[in-house]
Amino acid sequence: MPREAEPSLNERQFVLQALTENLRLDGREFDKYRPLELTFGDEYGVADVTLGKTRVLAKTSAEVTVPYVDRPLDGIFTIATELSPMTSPAFELNRPTETEVLLSRLIEKTVRRSGAMDTESLCLVAGQKCWSVRVDVHVLSHDGNLTDAACFAVVAALRHFRKPDTSMEGGVLTVYTPAEREPVPLSWLHSPFCVTWSFYGEEGEIALLDASWSEEQIRVGSCTISLNRHGEICQIAKLGGTPVEAVALLQCTNVALTKVKEFSTFLDKKLAEDAKRRDKGGLMAELSAENDR
Amino acid sequence: MTTESLLVLPGDEIDPSLIPTHKKNPLRLGPGLRHVPPNHILPTVAGQLVADHRKTSLYVEYNGGRYIPSVSDLVIGQVTRSAADLYYVNLNPYTPNASLPHLAFEGATKKTRPQLAPGALVYARISLANRHMDPELECVSATTGKAEGLGPLTGGMIFDISLGLARRLLMARSREAGGIAVLELLGAEGLAFETAVGRNGKVWVGSENTKTVVLVGRALKETDEKGLDVEQQKKLVQKLIKQMR
Repeated sequence: MPREAEPSLNERQFVLQALTENLRLDGREFDKYRPLELTFGDEYGVADVTLGKTRVLAKTSAEVTVPYVDRPLDGIFTIATELSPMTSPAFELNRPTETEVLLSRLIEKTVRRSGAMDTESLCLVAGQKCWSVRVDVHVLSHDGNLTDAACFAVVAALRHFRKPDTSMEGGVLTVYTPAEREPVPLSWLHSPFCVTWSFYGEEGEIALLDASWSEEQIRVGSCTISLNRHGEICQIAKLGGTPVEAVALLQCTNVALTKVKEFSTFLDKKLAEDAKRRDKGGLMAELSAENDR
Repeated sequence: MTTESLLVLPGDEIDPSLIPTHKKNPLRLGPGLRHVPPNHILPTVAGQLVADHRKTSLYVEYNGGRYIPSVSDLVIGQVTRSAADLYYVNLNPYTPNASLPHLAFEGATKKTRPQLAPGALVYARISLANRHMDPELECVSATTGKAEGLGPLTGGMIFDISLGLARRLLMARSREAGGIAVLELLGAEGLAFETAVGRNGKVWVGSENTKTVVLVGRALKETDEKGLDVEQQKKLVQKLIKQMR
């Protein structure tokens, strides 16, 4: 397995020098994201997110299985992340690197453990049948800030996903095809997003948002904050690195909140656009068998 | 002077009339072509076949792909480590290292050779490139014993560009033949900077002023990614200069 190419001494020196002069190599401001783009697939639950040159594809799928014995009333919800050699020759299949482990842990904590999806609604027959929802995250191109892009892709894919409608009659479970009944969305409680800060300088006094890969390689520390647009923080991960002033971190969280609000509106807008595109002839409301809560 | 150009695909037959001939000089094959003994010349990549009658050389011009070393190319490498009498230099990530002897610098002796730390950059020429062998580099001209601009690169910043752009930048008349005027235009705007272009898709930009380096880097990257022509490059330079002020 070839090692990841390290930045040269000149690059390290220069990027740091430029940062002390308030300059980023791509001319962005310190708290600006690269252009974020989101496209949904033809199928439900496919989200393709590009953040600058970073590209992540998330695909959601659902199947009926037997619930875990210790949680008979819960459905199963898993997120699988995969960094393939297509992303970078330094990644290998079936041998997770540190990046991959951290990425899956962070997404897991942000989306699954924060209770973004109501897993109890996935239960079909207590202790016997439930939905197993699985999100596969494929990183197609890695140019830094995988966490934010992957988290956004996962949330977008889950919000876009529709699972087949079911009914129980006389102990018989029927799963309807999309032709019979319009598929129903997952029961979604809140949308958390990750915002990653990278720190530079001897005491981590320079904070950058959405570092590109070349910037990520020379940072002295990073902090991932996950929160939703109501300002409810799901997790903060500062895994090692140079200690950072508490006041600076507070400032970071405040900026993160404004960014998350932007993400949230952007995702809502895109979902609405996609729903409109799919709603041919305005029949969707009639086709849906879903009841308002 | 290039006179002929034609699109070729890997394995295509090359029309013998296109191959330059000379009474004394042997034919020189550039990148993208392979000699299959006894008397076949086959392209190994898809691109534009360029015949240079004055230099009796023939090569294929193509953009992209991975850099494959060939003799007398100017490259920018990154020192990975030092061995007993040579440096291991990386020309391209994830490829085997090239070797740069400690004594292949101008006026270098055992005691006066430049000390390069891992991660340092060097501007070098490829002195040996055989298939299935690691390439060899030199930072001194074998005939004159002078550096001729080669050697360690200090300060500045390195930018990745496509191989096609690197080749066009290295052309003697890059504006007319390659359609690249962005560096000239930036210089005309009064920016002071120096550049070193490596055939392996790297440009080193050095300047006293950090802002200038960032600006030149952005101009080069944008020209490369969007495939701008000379007119568009002019507009881009104007825009960037305005932003900087």
